[in-house]
Amino acid sequence: MFAEYRVEMNNINKSFGGVKALDDVDLKVKPGEILALVGENGAGKSTLMKILSGAYRKEEGTIKLDGVEVQINNPQIGRKLGISIIYQEFALVPDLKVAENIFLGDIYQKNGIIEWNTLYEEAGKLIENLGFNINPKRELKNLSLAYQQVVEICKALSEEAKVLILDEPTAVLAPNEVKLLFRTLRTLKDRGVSIIYISHRLEEIFKIADRAEVLKDGKLSGVVNVNETSRNEVINLMIGRELDNMFPKRENKIGKNFLTVNNLSNDVVEDVSFSVKEGEVFGLAGLVGSGRSEIARSIFGADKMDSGEIILNNKNINNKSPKYSLKNGIGMVPEDRKEQGVILSMDVKTNITMTMIKNISNIGVINRKQEKKHTHNLVEKLKIKTKDIHTDVKNLSGGNQQKVSLAKWFGKNCDVIILDEPTRGVDVGAKVEIYKLINELARQNIGVIMISSEMTEIIAMCDRAAVMHRGNMMGILNKDELTEENIMRLAIGEDENNGE
Amino acid sequence: MENKNSAFKKGLNLFLKYNTEFIIVILLIASAFVSDSFFTERNIFNLLRQVSGIGIISMGMLLVILTGGIDLSVGSQLALGSVLSAYFLSTVGYSLPLALFLTLLIGILFGSVSGYLVSKREMAPFVSTLALMTITRGVAFIISEGSPIIIENQNLLGFGKNYLFSIPLPVILMLFLFAIMIFVLRFTVFGRMVKAIGSNEIAVRLSGINKTIYKFSVYAISGGFAATAGIIATSRTGVGSPLVGTGLELDAIAAVVIGGASLKGGKGTAIKTLLGVLILGVIGNIMNLKNVPAYPQQVIKGLIIIFAVLFQGIQNKMQDEGD
Repeated sequence: MFAEYRVEMNNINKSFGGVKALDDVDLKVKPGEILALVGENGAGKSTLMKILSGAYRKEEGTIKLDGVEVQINNPQIGRKLGISIIYQEFALVPDLKVAENIFLGDIYQKNGIIEWNTLYEEAGKLIENLGFNINPKRELKNLSLAYQQVVEICKALSEEAKVLILDEPTAVLAPNEVKLLFRTLRTLKDRGVSIIYISHRLEEIFKIADRAEVLKDGKLSGVVNVNETSRNEVINLMIGRELDNMFPKRENKIGKNFLTVNNLSNDVVEDVSFSVKEGEVFGLAGLVGSGRSEIARSIFGADKMDSGEIILNNKNINNKSPKYSLKNGIGMVPEDRKEQGVILSMDVKTNITMTMIKNISNIGVINRKQEKKHTHNLVEKLKIKTKDIHTDVKNLSGGNQQKVSLAKWFGKNCDVIILDEPTRGVDVGAKVEIYKLINELARQNIGVIMISSEMTEIIAMCDRAAVMHRGNMMGILNKDELTEENIMRLAIGEDENNGE
Repeated sequence: MENKNSAFKKGLNLFLKYNTEFIIVILLIASAFVSDSFFTERNIFNLLRQVSGIGIISMGMLLVILTGGIDLSVGSQLALGSVLSAYFLSTVGYSLPLALFLTLLIGILFGSVSGYLVSKREMAPFVSTLALMTITRGVAFIISEGSPIIIENQNLLGFGKNYLFSIPLPVILMLFLFAIMIFVLRFTVFGRMVKAIGSNEIAVRLSGINKTIYKFSVYAISGGFAATAGIIATSRTGVGSPLVGTGLELDAIAAVVIGGASLKGGKGTAIKTLLGVLILGVIGNIMNLKNVPAYPQQVIKGLIIIFAVLFQGIQNKMQDEGD
């Protein structure tokens, strides 16, 4: 039976507790097509994909697979029908071998005994067919994130996936790893696999997708052919307004050096030195795992440093723990907001006032009035969208959760604020607002250290940036030297080819 | 059709949300029907006096569980408290205030050992308090030389028997401590941090808060509460016994869990813990009134725990789907 589309979802409706999450949404993918699914957080992308994969049930609407209507009532049925979804957090077992992970659901066995030879052979074939060379006998935890992702894709292929859904697959990848992923996706496309690609990063969509479907507030906002559209059109569909400039202009006066890091060494980084000036946004660039976060954590006192000194305002400070850092006026917004930045199960006010609990309490008793005042101030200042300050942070969108994490330090009058991947997994609208907040910090003469994996962000936002490679600082680039080529050249180590 | 459905859902949600309250109300009504002597002043105060020790211990347990830990040593700590108070009074011959002070101090000290191991040495709470459980029981046996120590101090004996406004004194002490706990958990930095640590320890540390001191304190407090319960046990029975409180840690954990606290930490209230204590107490009381042997009592206790936690699980799931 011939059908033009591999997947055809029509008039899908779904609501949660009276709130309409999806309102008459359609989605179509052809065999061998890469469809980008974009939209701000809360637009309904994940809900739609969970319905397609069987994790949620639709309330109304039809799903056709190769022209035949199907009922996907649970993820098992979804997988049997050839629909595989790869979440940001991989569903892999770190202590098992690559081959075991690939065939986890359906391992080669005879009477309960694993047939290792067949297992390795079949796993090897799948990996090779994607053009990679990964030993199936290796333990998964020894692989880089990008290779783990390859394993996850192989796992989907072992289940004969006809439709592959990827939820923000590049969020954890470094630029050169993204290239690897794209190569894999193109291979799969040539084999006729339909790919649905959820991403916040518009530049990726233009590189890899054939068409893009944009959702906004649970409704279909538009479907565009990627080679007939522009960045602005997509953004317009996403947020319903033109976004003239992603990166707002900053009016900061850069002062004298006031934070100096001398010869910092810890478990990961070696002999790192740099200084940050008042009102400066200083970038830490490099690949994931190059030691950027470890520098930040040592300055902040979250991790021990083996040697080196940190001088703030001519005072040698040694942050033995974040508690001392708080006293010394250094704040840090950690990279993993859900695990480290906020307490999801507690409310907005508890989260925001966590750093200033001493200021809003008397002899250990919390002053509720002051707490409210402080929280309201910061919620307003950072434009945090929340029903009220008693809402649990888990009910906020990703961007607003990140703003809560920022607010904790915004209200602290810090001298230095370290931001570790401040815009990861945050939608475009919230990104711009976070950039504005960073500018505001700089305008108040605060020294900002910003870690980012997005080169465009480093280039546009930073006054200077240091580039890390395998625990070593390869160099510091001034504003006029900040280009993708320069950063990349340093990030991959100068001796090697530049990765293209 | 949809309206009916949502009304049903609302009702179900309400039931699940207040399942501890529902269970206690149902139990009380059932008890009134089953036994005429249940709702008498004498029986109710008897019941409350019986649960006063476990009630006080449950509060310490609640604090520990809120941080995501567990304290298995409280039963043994009660025995040590019981033995020490009698030992200091009768064997050594100290005055009552001094004896009580030393008993409490040593209770806090033993709790602090667990606290130190968990917070500073990062030992698993289950393991460190398991070790303390056998150590403490052993110390209680050593001090008492294996046999109960009889007390004759009339003031302490009186505390176990006497009333204020016709309420037994141990019950007043329990309710007073509960009131303090409610205040601490709702209005103080300490209460908030204890819950925050149980919810996300890393985020708390990265907010510049010294989590060690809080984790340490909850075990020390738990030790102090257990010693208090030990003193009450001595005052009620007239002897300091190294045998009391065996298995009591499990009852305390049960009370906290029936009260809706999560063993993962971060979730739980003092009032609901008190209800959990009462649920266990009422079950024991009514079955004693009806002369049900001890063994079926244990089965029913276990079933109540399963149902309470099942309801909480369903409620959590429904909440998550709603998000």
